[in-house]
Amino acid sequence: MRGKFALIAKIVFLGFTTAILALLTESAFAQKQYVIGGFILVAALALNIVYLTSISVPFKFFLPGILFFIAFVIAPIFFTVQMSGFKYQTGNYIDKATALEQVISLGAQPDAQGTTFDITVGRNSSNEFAILVSDIANNKYFVSTPTQRVDVPAASATFNEYGVAIKAPNFNAMSADALAANDAYSKIRYKYEGDYYIAIESQNAGGVFRQELTYSAKTGVLTNIFTGATYVDNHRGNFAKVGDPTVLLSPGWRAPIWFENYSRLVTDQKVRTPLIRVFLWTFFFALFSVLSTFALGLILAMSLNRPIRGRRIYRSILILPYAMPSVMSILIWAGMFDSDFGAVNSILHTNIHWLQNPSLARSIVLLVNLWLGFPYFYLICSGSLQAIPNELLEAAAIDGANPRQVFRKITLPLLLQILSPLLIASFAFNFNNFNLIYLLTGGGPTQTLNGEIAGATDILISYTYKIAFGTNFQDFGLASAISVIIFLIVASISMYGLRRSKVMESFG
Amino acid sequence: MNKWVRENLWRHSIAIATCLFSLFPLYLVILSSLKTSGSLQVGSFIPHEVSLDNFRFLFHSPKTPYVLWFKNSLVIASTVALSSVFIGAASAFAFSRLKFKGKKLGIRLLLLVQMFPAVLAISAVYVIMERVYTFAPNIGLGSQGGLILVYLGGSMGVNIWLLKGFVDSIPVELDEAAKIDGASPVQTYWLIFLPLATPVLAVVCLLSFIGTFNEFILARLFLVEMNGRTIAVGLQQFIGGQYASNWGPFAAGSILASIPIVIIFLSLQRFIVNGLTAGSVKG
Amino acid sequence: MISKRFGFAGVIAAAALAVSTLVVPTASATTEIVVWADETRGPNLTKVIAAKGDWVPGYTIKIVTFSSYSALGAALDKATGTTGPDIFVGGNDWVVASAKSGKLAPVTLTASQKAQFTSSQLYDLTYAGKLYGVPLDINNVGMIYNTKLVTTAPKSFGDMVDFYKANKTKLSLKNGLCVTGGGMSWGALSVFSALGADPYLMTGRGKVDTARGFNPTTFGTNMKKYLIDPATGKSNGFWASSNTTCNDDFYSGKVPYSIIGNWEWKTYVDKGFAMNLQPVPSVKGGYGHMFGSVSGAFLTSFADKHGVAVGAKSLLVNFFASTAGQVAYEKIEGRPPAAKGAQADPTVSDAQKGFGVAASQAGIPQIGAILDNKAGGSNYWDSSSDYWTQTLINGKDATVEARKLAAIWRANVTAAQSLL
Repeated sequence: MRGKFALIAKIVFLGFTTAILALLTESAFAQKQYVIGGFILVAALALNIVYLTSISVPFKFFLPGILFFIAFVIAPIFFTVQMSGFKYQTGNYIDKATALEQVISLGAQPDAQGTTFDITVGRNSSNEFAILVSDIANNKYFVSTPTQRVDVPAASATFNEYGVAIKAPNFNAMSADALAANDAYSKIRYKYEGDYYIAIESQNAGGVFRQELTYSAKTGVLTNIFTGATYVDNHRGNFAKVGDPTVLLSPGWRAPIWFENYSRLVTDQKVRTPLIRVFLWTFFFALFSVLSTFALGLILAMSLNRPIRGRRIYRSILILPYAMPSVMSILIWAGMFDSDFGAVNSILHTNIHWLQNPSLARSIVLLVNLWLGFPYFYLICSGSLQAIPNELLEAAAIDGANPRQVFRKITLPLLLQILSPLLIASFAFNFNNFNLIYLLTGGGPTQTLNGEIAGATDILISYTYKIAFGTNFQDFGLASAISVIIFLIVASISMYGLRRSKVMESFG
Repeated sequence: MNKWVRENLWRHSIAIATCLFSLFPLYLVILSSLKTSGSLQVGSFIPHEVSLDNFRFLFHSPKTPYVLWFKNSLVIASTVALSSVFIGAASAFAFSRLKFKGKKLGIRLLLLVQMFPAVLAISAVYVIMERVYTFAPNIGLGSQGGLILVYLGGSMGVNIWLLKGFVDSIPVELDEAAKIDGASPVQTYWLIFLPLATPVLAVVCLLSFIGTFNEFILARLFLVEMNGRTIAVGLQQFIGGQYASNWGPFAAGSILASIPIVIIFLSLQRFIVNGLTAGSVKG
Repeated sequence: MISKRFGFAGVIAAAALAVSTLVVPTASATTEIVVWADETRGPNLTKVIAAKGDWVPGYTIKIVTFSSYSALGAALDKATGTTGPDIFVGGNDWVVASAKSGKLAPVTLTASQKAQFTSSQLYDLTYAGKLYGVPLDINNVGMIYNTKLVTTAPKSFGDMVDFYKANKTKLSLKNGLCVTGGGMSWGALSVFSALGADPYLMTGRGKVDTARGFNPTTFGTNMKKYLIDPATGKSNGFWASSNTTCNDDFYSGKVPYSIIGNWEWKTYVDKGFAMNLQPVPSVKGGYGHMFGSVSGAFLTSFADKHGVAVGAKSLLVNFFASTAGQVAYEKIEGRPPAAKGAQADPTVSDAQKGFGVAASQAGIPQIGAILDNKAGGSNYWDSSSDYWTQTLINGKDATVEARKLAAIWRANVTAAQSLL
């Protein structure tokens, strides 16, 4: 009975999910999102196959998790790794086709006076798009199509209250709604004089331009037909001037430069110097954070390891930092140490610029991280202490060991063994503790007058964020390369640690 | 008396000192939320002014549909917490109990991938969800549905990892007994494992809830509509301005938002302690 | 058994497909112009558009309000043509990077539209010779004196320092002068100028006078004369190297002079202070000593992909750059409108006008290519605030540090010339 119910529930649920995914697949394909549509389709098929057959029992458990994992964790990581091989930065942001299109359209230069005209858009007698142009200053009016320009005698035109011609023979103005519904008319170049044409600049204005840059798809060369200058793809994401490769046309595009972002980490002194300093600090920061939070947590756990009066209240207060939203508490700490008027100075009656001094700022980062992290280790340690068999400790005490010896020889090694995976996880977490640095110091202070690029408290991840999103010059490619390096470092440290603690054995 | 002092005084001193350390900033947030001015600085420990202006502002200004934000935060965070635990528990069970090819590799991969710095992935997630938007606006960029999906994906690794620890701590004998009785792994999962694991699932659920409740870097890109924002995003408007920050309402709003979480946390603290350590002790 | 299950699911899946064909959205030409704005401008633009929505015949306008200016910036960093905006409203410092990356599209204004703005306002929104948006409101700061403490306007920088020194203990002053709006880089530029540094002297449109700009010797001497306590070698307290509570201190009468931003005058007026605006004294009058830039409404290259480029351009000129549009908007936004016609409108308050006049008289356009340049090792924003920290807080020699700063900025300016 129960089995039948479960089966029906499964089929209904599966059918329902399949229906939704099928719908999504179809709409995705309709919008030409083939990769995403394909993924959803595969997901739908996989779900049906796995849950309707007995091909793989583990997959019945894994599949939903794996699908989410691939879509939102693996795919973005893949993207980051891929972009680390690209010149992908401010100025080289879009794809090549779009960039070329824009370079060409920016190659349309207005005439020397920046002439503009009032226009009315419509169609001529042969139903082509046409504009009725009012050159009010010269009292000249004409109808232009891409191929011809027909003067309209002022007498035969009708004008609105601003003196703009709105009606003329062989010209039918179009309604605003009709124009809004299809903007094909706006991409047309209407004939003016010689090389110059009129382009639509708004619903009722046109500007005089001429196309200076032309592109030959066959040779891949851009030519300025008036100056004769030519520009070719420099294979680094820009069109560069022939003869003077420092002159680049913007915008550029994302171009593959393979390992250049990685080699810059070593060869470019402006990248390398801050990176080494930041790395050392990051390592120290993560290590110290783990040790200090663990130490304080352990001391507390040992202090409160027996039922003393008020233990429940202590415990409730001690876990508050863990329960508070960390975003808020970090900002509060930042405010407390604010140079002149923070609470810390006003309580100590000092005037110390905590966050402006590199060493002080670093100490504060460590202190705040201690505040944020000790409750976790307190909770963990107090649980683990209870898990250590009492007989072991009692036996040691009987053997004449004093409490300190018991702690050093028995409790601590046992705890370390039990907790090493969590200690390593905590190290990995702190290595990438972006929120703390971003919200507390913003990486600062940065002694820019002394040529510093990275801030004193910047850790690798906050420094990477600055490179990718921080300033007006963003280098996403370089930031991606640094991310990959960070990953390799953290992963190898963690793996080494885990292997040493023999945790991996239990995975088998 | 002497013995008490010797045995317990140091315990109380350490506990009291650390409690003060814990409470110090929290006390200051409350003070700053009671000030009328917009700064986060508190010059003294004694409140010079007690004003509920900031709180009143939250509930009465049309710029802050605070109740709605609160509701959004609750809905999003609980959906993410429940679904991710539901999906994650199954994977954790498989990793912990089932024997299959590539299991070791799978676990390592899961662990390693979490160490990839996620900050840059935001851009990729943005592009993916932007594309999803073109064919399914309700689960694409700018929608709560889309944000929930992204959170679910992001929380998967951590939750599977945490839950695996918990599952490992449940005695194997229990499900082996079931196996002898002829139950399939799926039946064992539903009938034996899930009821047993409810307490730990609840803990992971709670941690996941808090994590989601706090998140703002992704949320501010997704939840643009005023009425669709979460608290973390909504309160951004007071501190992320072009030139100026207004900390008062931010502090007040954060306090109100954290009260329920702190209450849940405190009332479930025994539960949480056991849950957290259960995962670690077995290793 | 298995085939039976397939049967079930097959039926449901088929039904789903049938349903789905009915629901697939059909593509239709969009006539909606999407405008992105921050947390203060967004709601006000929404109100203005709600009151009168027919600024562009045939199109509807949708304002998308971000939760903060930084959230807007973060979204713009990542936006692509798929869901990006057609127009966005923001600071001029976004022009260079966005235009260079191909996210912006140029606009061409008619002569009469151009005449509504000063050349430096337009220059602010220009990159590589093309204009990418229209000026909407003015961004600048001005100094006010605290009517609770001072009755007359100070004539010189020295006057202010003397007042501070004489009354420091008596009135328990926290600082003499501080910045409430604009931060220690942007908001404090006029203090550099007042003390004789004149970091960015302009000789003409976009031309920085490198020969005369930033005089570290005069500036260093003045620093020591006015701001440094000879006993400690650090700040004498007059000029707050950072003061996050500057506005509170001003309200409570603990700061006599304050540099405020033009977006916050209303708070001061509401608290009973007069808008006795002036440049920081000793800043020479005339062009090129203070920042006076504009925020603008920018046309994106996405608008063309969305098929609303003409509509978006029309919205820029019909609404954002027009007198009628700016008057309607600034009435609730409260910043000084950029258009001359709007500045002259009777509904625009005196404070708004005051800031507007200050900006047009003493404005240095904020040229992103110069200010964001890092050729000297650091950009303007980071290095200028570091100067105050190093001298006033860490007690380093004011002249030595000023030379370093001057060297950095000269290198930046030189490198930027080729980009202009």
